[in-house]
Amino acid sequence: MTFTWRKLGHLFNPATITRPDWMVEFAQAPATLIFDKFVRVYFSCRPPADAAGQYVSRAAYVDLNRSNLFEVVGLSEQPLLELGGKGAFDEFGTYPMSVIRHDGEVHAYYGGWTRCVSVPFDVAIGRAVSGDEGASFTKTGQGPVLGASLHEPFVISGPKIRRFGDLWSLWYIAGVKWIPTETRAEPVYRIRMATSRDGVNFERHGRELIPVRIEADECQASPDVIFANGRYHMFFCYRHSIGYRGKEKGYRIGYATSSDLLNWTRDDARAGIDVSETGWDAEMISYPHVFELDGRTLMLYLGNQVGRAGFGLAELEGTLS
Amino acid sequence: MKWTKRGLLFEPQKHALPNGCTDFAQSPQAIVFDDFVRIYFSTRSRDAGGQYLSQIAFVDVDRDLRQVLRVSTDPVIALGGLGCFDEHGIFPFHVLRHDGAIHAFTSGWSRRVSVPVETAIGLAVSRDDGLTFERVGPGPVMAPTPREPFLVGDPFVVVRDGLWRMWYIYGTSWIESPEDPGPARVYKIAAATSRDGIEWIRDGATIIPDVLGPHECQALPTVIEVDGVWHMYFCYRQATDFRSNPDRGYRLGHASSTDRRLWVRDDREGGLEVSATGWDSEMLCYPHTFWCDGQAYLLYNGNAFGRQGFGVAVMERG
Repeated sequence: MTFTWRKLGHLFNPATITRPDWMVEFAQAPATLIFDKFVRVYFSCRPPADAAGQYVSRAAYVDLNRSNLFEVVGLSEQPLLELGGKGAFDEFGTYPMSVIRHDGEVHAYYGGWTRCVSVPFDVAIGRAVSGDEGASFTKTGQGPVLGASLHEPFVISGPKIRRFGDLWSLWYIAGVKWIPTETRAEPVYRIRMATSRDGVNFERHGRELIPVRIEADECQASPDVIFANGRYHMFFCYRHSIGYRGKEKGYRIGYATSSDLLNWTRDDARAGIDVSETGWDAEMISYPHVFELDGRTLMLYLGNQVGRAGFGLAELEGTLS
Repeated sequence: MKWTKRGLLFEPQKHALPNGCTDFAQSPQAIVFDDFVRIYFSTRSRDAGGQYLSQIAFVDVDRDLRQVLRVSTDPVIALGGLGCFDEHGIFPFHVLRHDGAIHAFTSGWSRRVSVPVETAIGLAVSRDDGLTFERVGPGPVMAPTPREPFLVGDPFVVVRDGLWRMWYIYGTSWIESPEDPGPARVYKIAAATSRDGIEWIRDGATIIPDVLGPHECQALPTVIEVDGVWHMYFCYRQATDFRSNPDRGYRLGHASSTDRRLWVRDDREGGLEVSATGWDSEMLCYPHTFWCDGQAYLLYNGNAFGRQGFGVAVMERG
C-alpha cells in the first residue's frame, strides 16, 4: 500500500497575525491537543535575537477552529513555560514541547536549553504539568527528567511523548558527537527511545532506532509516532550535518514502521511528502507531527528555515499500513 | 576523634608532573598497593586561552606515608571530548578496587556561559593497575535530575555486599553577591545507592544539616569506619567571599552514623582545625580518609585550595 500527503497550505505564520513581542517569528515543532471546538497547536517561537544574535525559544499555542483549521480562534497570552533559573538546564530556551492528556491533566515534555563555552549549547528534557487543559503549565522540578547519561553524552532533546497501553513511550534525540567547524561546532544527533511506568522515571532503550541513510553523520529529529492499522508509523526529519541551511542538504521528512515500538524499518521513499516546487516549503520540510481528526489523518510540518514562517498542513491520501 | 597533623606530604612544585602541570595537588584520593600507597590528585594545566584545566596525576608514597617514591610521568586519563561533561577538567578523581580492577568515579567539569561551570560524575576503569584509565562511556553516570538541578560531583563510593553506596554533592542554587565577581554556587551532600555502579537510585535529599545557614556549601564527603561507627569528613564554607577571607573559607566538618543512612553532625568532634601558622592556617579542605596497616589517615588540602599540595594527619586511638 502506498499513501501520499496532499498539501493543504501554509497553516500558521506568526508574522501575519497580531502577536506579543516574545512571538515575533518562528513557529517550530507543532504538537496538537484536540478540544471539542478547536485544535490547540503547541509550538516554539522566538522574540528578536539579542545583541549577540542569540535567540531564546519560548513555548506557545494557537487555537484553530476544529471545523476550519485555517481559522485562528485563540492564542496563548504568555509563554507557557518559565525559563529556568541561573545555571539550570533550561535557562536559555524551551524547544520543542510535546503534550499528552492523562488523568485529567496535560503533561508536557520539553527540550531545555543552556549555553556552553566550547560548543554553543546543550539540551536536556524537562517535564511540566497543566491542570487547566493545557492553558498554563507548572514545571515538576528544577532539573531534567532525561539528561546526559553514560552512553548519551549531550543534546538530549526533541521529546515526543505517547502512551500505548500502560506505558509511557518517549521518543527523543541524543547527541552522538560535535563536529568542529570554522564558525561553530555542529551537533550530530539520532533518534532514541525510553519508556516509563510513571512518566517520571524513564528506562532508556539504549540504542539508535533509525539507521542513517544520507551520510554517516546524518542528523535526525522529530520522531513522531502514530498507531494505525496494526502497526506503528514514525514520521521524522533528517538532514546533512554540515551546510544544512540550504535546499540541497536541508531537512526532509523520513518514514519508518514497527510492530513492537523498538525495532523500526526505515523507508523514506514511502514518506509521501517532499519539498514543493516553489513557495514557503520549497527548500526544506521538517518536524512532522501526525494526528487524527474527525476521520482524517493530518500532518503539521515546517518549511523553509525550519519554521521561521510557521507550519503547514497536509492530509493523508491512502492508508498507513 | 583525635588527629595528629604531620604537615605537607606532597608539594607539586617540587616535582615534574604530566601535562606540564606545576601548581595544585587537590583532593588527594588514596588506594593501597602491596609496596606503596598511590595517591591520585588534581593538578592544573592551562588551555590555549590561558584558562585552567584540572588534570589527574598520582604520587606513590611508602606505606607509612612519610616518603614520596615517584610521581606519574604520563597522563592518567585524557579529558573528555568536545561538548562532553568532562571536557574542561576532572576534579576530584575517586578510586576504589572492585572485581579485580580499579574503578574511578570522576567529577567532570565543563564551562557554561551564564555560570562558570557545570559538573557531573563519570566512571572510568583501569586495566593496568591504575596507571591509565578508560571511560566506560563518554557521558556521566550521575547528572542532574528534577530534584538535583546542577553541579553533581565529589563522589565517594563504598561497595559492601554487592551494594554500592555513593556520597556526593549537588548544587541547590547559584546566587549573586556584591563580594564576588560572578554567580556563586551553593551545594550540599547527598547519598545514592546502586547495584552496578552505573544505575544509581537517589531521592534528592540532603543528609548533613547546615551550620552556616541555607547558603552553606558542603563538599567532598569521605567516609571511614572506626570501631563500628561510620565517620564522615567533608569540607564546608560560606557561599561568598570565601577565596581570600580566611574567616569564610573551607573548614573540615564531621558527622557520624551507625547505619550509614542517618548522620549526626558534630564538627568539633571531628578534631581537625586550621593551624596557627603555615600552609594550613587559613583553610582546610578536600579531606580523604582511609586505612593502611591498621592506621587511619586523613589527607587534606590547606590554604588556597591546595595550590601548595596536600598534607596528612594520623588518627590517634586511645
